[in-house]
Amino acid sequence: MATNLTRRNFLKAASIAAASVPLSQVTAKAQSGVVKAPLVSPGSFKNTQTAVGGVCEMCFWRCQLVGKVRDGRLIKLEGNPKSIDNGEAICARGNAGVAMLYDPDRLKYPLKNIGERGAPKWQRISWEEALDTCATKLKTIIDRDGAKGLCFFGHGSHAKYLMDFLERTVSTPNISEASFFQCRGVRDTAYLATLDIAPDENVDMANAKVIFFTGTHIGENIHLSHAKNYLRGLEQGAKLIVVDPRYSASAAKSHIWVQIRPGTDTAFVLAIMNYLIQNKKYNADFVEEHGEGFAEMAKGIREWTLEKAAEECDVPASQIKEVADLMAANMPHVAIHPGRHTTWYGNDFQRCRALACLTGLLGAIGCKGGLVLPKGPKGLTRINWPYVPHEEDSVLRDVADEHHFSPPGTPTELLRDAAISGKPYPIKGAVICGQNIMQCMPNQEKTIKMLKQMEFVLCVDIMPTDSTMYADILLPDCSYLEKSDFIKTGQQWDLGKDPQQYIAPRMPLVAPGFERKDSIWITNELAKRMGYGDKIPAQNQEELADKALAGVNLSLAKIKAEGGIHVQPGVSPYDDIDDLTVHFYNEDMEDEGYPPIPTYVPIEQPPQGFVRLVYGRTPLHTFNRTANNPWLVNEAKTNPLWVNDKLAARLGLKEGDTIKLTNQDGVTSPTTTTVKVTPGIREDVVYLYHGYGTKNPEMTQAVNRGIDDNSLITKIAVDPESGAHGMRNNFVKIVKVS
Amino acid sequence: MQYGMIIDVDKCVGCHACVIACKAEWEVPTQFDRNWVHRLGPSLTSDGMAATYYPGLCNHCEIPVCVPVCPADPVNVTFKDAKTGKTVTMEIRATWKDPFNGTVQVDRERCIGCGACAEACPYDARFIDESLKDDTSLGKVDKCTYCMPRVAEGLEPACVQTCLARARIFGDLDDPNSEVSQYVKKGAVGLTSKAVQIGPHGLYYASKKGDMELLMQAAPQEMPKVSLRRSMLTRLTVAAQTHMKEIGLLGLAGGLLVQSVQDDDKE
Repeated sequence: MATNLTRRNFLKAASIAAASVPLSQVTAKAQSGVVKAPLVSPGSFKNTQTAVGGVCEMCFWRCQLVGKVRDGRLIKLEGNPKSIDNGEAICARGNAGVAMLYDPDRLKYPLKNIGERGAPKWQRISWEEALDTCATKLKTIIDRDGAKGLCFFGHGSHAKYLMDFLERTVSTPNISEASFFQCRGVRDTAYLATLDIAPDENVDMANAKVIFFTGTHIGENIHLSHAKNYLRGLEQGAKLIVVDPRYSASAAKSHIWVQIRPGTDTAFVLAIMNYLIQNKKYNADFVEEHGEGFAEMAKGIREWTLEKAAEECDVPASQIKEVADLMAANMPHVAIHPGRHTTWYGNDFQRCRALACLTGLLGAIGCKGGLVLPKGPKGLTRINWPYVPHEEDSVLRDVADEHHFSPPGTPTELLRDAAISGKPYPIKGAVICGQNIMQCMPNQEKTIKMLKQMEFVLCVDIMPTDSTMYADILLPDCSYLEKSDFIKTGQQWDLGKDPQQYIAPRMPLVAPGFERKDSIWITNELAKRMGYGDKIPAQNQEELADKALAGVNLSLAKIKAEGGIHVQPGVSPYDDIDDLTVHFYNEDMEDEGYPPIPTYVPIEQPPQGFVRLVYGRTPLHTFNRTANNPWLVNEAKTNPLWVNDKLAARLGLKEGDTIKLTNQDGVTSPTTTTVKVTPGIREDVVYLYHGYGTKNPEMTQAVNRGIDDNSLITKIAVDPESGAHGMRNNFVKIVKVS
Repeated sequence: MQYGMIIDVDKCVGCHACVIACKAEWEVPTQFDRNWVHRLGPSLTSDGMAATYYPGLCNHCEIPVCVPVCPADPVNVTFKDAKTGKTVTMEIRATWKDPFNGTVQVDRERCIGCGACAEACPYDARFIDESLKDDTSLGKVDKCTYCMPRVAEGLEPACVQTCLARARIFGDLDDPNSEVSQYVKKGAVGLTSKAVQIGPHGLYYASKKGDMELLMQAAPQEMPKVSLRRSMLTRLTVAAQTHMKEIGLLGLAGGLLVQSVQDDDKE
């Protein structure tokens, strides 16, 4: 931090020093008589109480926390020393939870929009009025159009109880979660169609000999115990292969960096498999025992020679061979990472399926270093809203007879199209909780159209996100530090160690401020007013947690006394694959008209004068969720556009130049960012950190900061199998501003 | 004893938790940081493409150039060795190097906020919080203390505790058996350059040649030009204040002042 010390300043200071009164005597009693706060903070460990039971939700990995609280004020968050997951460590975002908690821009009171959707004017109203209004409006729509007249967008544990109420008891099928349709749903259904398991990111990297990433960029993406897992693997000598058009944080730690042409990953994986099969370097015993339709796949991918893939992927054939040989030499201890955010190009189901098949081909499942599902504690009681079947012909993907391998809920594009067209039925009520649909769903125009045709929009959130600008009623939720709405369970982070399990119910570390209410209370109050009072599964958040914990003979009070986390002996997660079948060829897929073996579907390449826009994570933000956090903003003030150095030279761009972006549809980013010139990205791609470019002026720290990549993702791709969006098919021109 | 910090960038994933944990621990104002993480690269190095991180903090240097430039009123302070109980009394100004643990500390009560120390530091490891200005100062300096108050309670520095990678290792560089000393044997080095050789005790380890090259490029390449001038000026001021004890310096300081004014005029 450079101090701009001018001579004048210095002389001023010197003259103070020369005032001949020793400063040590002066400072105790300043002449102005103003009583100052102590100049030195005492530290988080002095005169504080340790509040246990925190479970982070700055992202969705949910590290276990303790809070250092002084006079009711949270000073600091730390990892819970009892944690067998994150331990005492937490990431930058986790540490910055304090600044989220006290962010002056946070929602404080129930608000009513007396302006327009998109250009709101807020009037503070009572909870009574807010809840009555919401219940009346939602009920009116349900009574007229049925439960299918509502839709719900939600994210995180904040949203779950409200979502379950709407989906299960009110029974609207129109639930579209970003975590599925704009993130990881396609991965899970592709693995389910191949290995019958949803993989999450459960690869045993700590005990792997080879780690294989396609696009995964740990370092920029920080999920704490996952990052520990990865680092332990590297420390123990695992070879890291990173397939990415960009020299990502992980590529910087890799042994082999495959600088692939975007969208061609499936061809790359098919060539690896074909090479392993043709050269009999795959795990034949494993395939013999667990494989189904291996011969069909082997035959079907024969065309994918190293040379053919090399040309398609724009990488040397020798490098594909090197990768394949490295895997073969170390199988089955090869961690084929399934990825997390996998909604890239609209051909993603096939890529994820190819990765799952490769995992099977190497036998890298259930063994050290492979795909290993951890074994968490069992027996928690399932407490939920009673299930009422959806009305006939109300499930949009059944009506459309599309996306037969969709994750749970309704593919966003089907929902949005139905709402805008009113066909096959009108959708006139929207409930949005914890999800910023304006910045996660591609084509903002369409989202606005959908919202504007609604009769009623309810938003529940902690921050005034861009999406909340379209609410009629906006309700202030408690943050994860002020509530008890989730029970985190799992196994110790390094699966290779003595098996242990943990149960960590979230407990509030501080009392909620202003008029914020937890979403369980909000949901129950809505339910009562909508006539579902007798269906309420738990009267409050504590009861909800205690009812679930009763199944394992625990309670919030007991676990609090244990330091916020219950730890018990676990079971080994390895070698539990007797029933496993690897569907190299999937008959169900064929029946529905999809390619039954993993298949490469080429995507459009950038037209002349344009480059592909890709985006990813910064370790300092979780999408837009944390965009207004003052501490995090101070660390990453904008999202510089990564531009290849040769491309930059051709365009006359220099490091630090200010630019805008215009996409293939003529849409220009409303805000600007700076340029980062680097050889570490392909010439046909530019890259932004996602989550910037907030439009809502009430987000005073985030507004107009950097470019919102999502504002430029106007061309929509939809993955045929899963209905998930593909969001890296847009092309941009760089426009220099200064 | 000399406390030092190893940063193993092979392990660092660049998450910035160290910076934010420090901010929370010491209630550092939002716009300031006692430590930092700079992302270096991706760039082409002599060893091919490389990218790494420069997690920086006060180096608690062997030759702390920030100390002699402090013009604050001197006081006598008795220091005590935490281990042996041995004491030493010495005259210090508002910033000093601890005779027993080797850390460089500041006394914000006596700081006059002139910024000379911040300007003297080639690593930019100090800042002046001007919002704290009062009748006797233009603000207050702040910097990393190696979390001495935490260490005194048996805790790790906040940045070390929160590091998921265990990429930060804190300890006694004078103890040959300490983990930090093991890293020195493995090749951990301070970020120095031809012109900046003041014995930093923050030491960096990278097994990849390209990463080390990027780190060394991030090292300061020159001593702040102002520091000598500032030092002389401050000592001149202090000399005036303390009955011209150091009057011999006046001529040198005056010459430097004239020179620097001429330099500034050229700019």
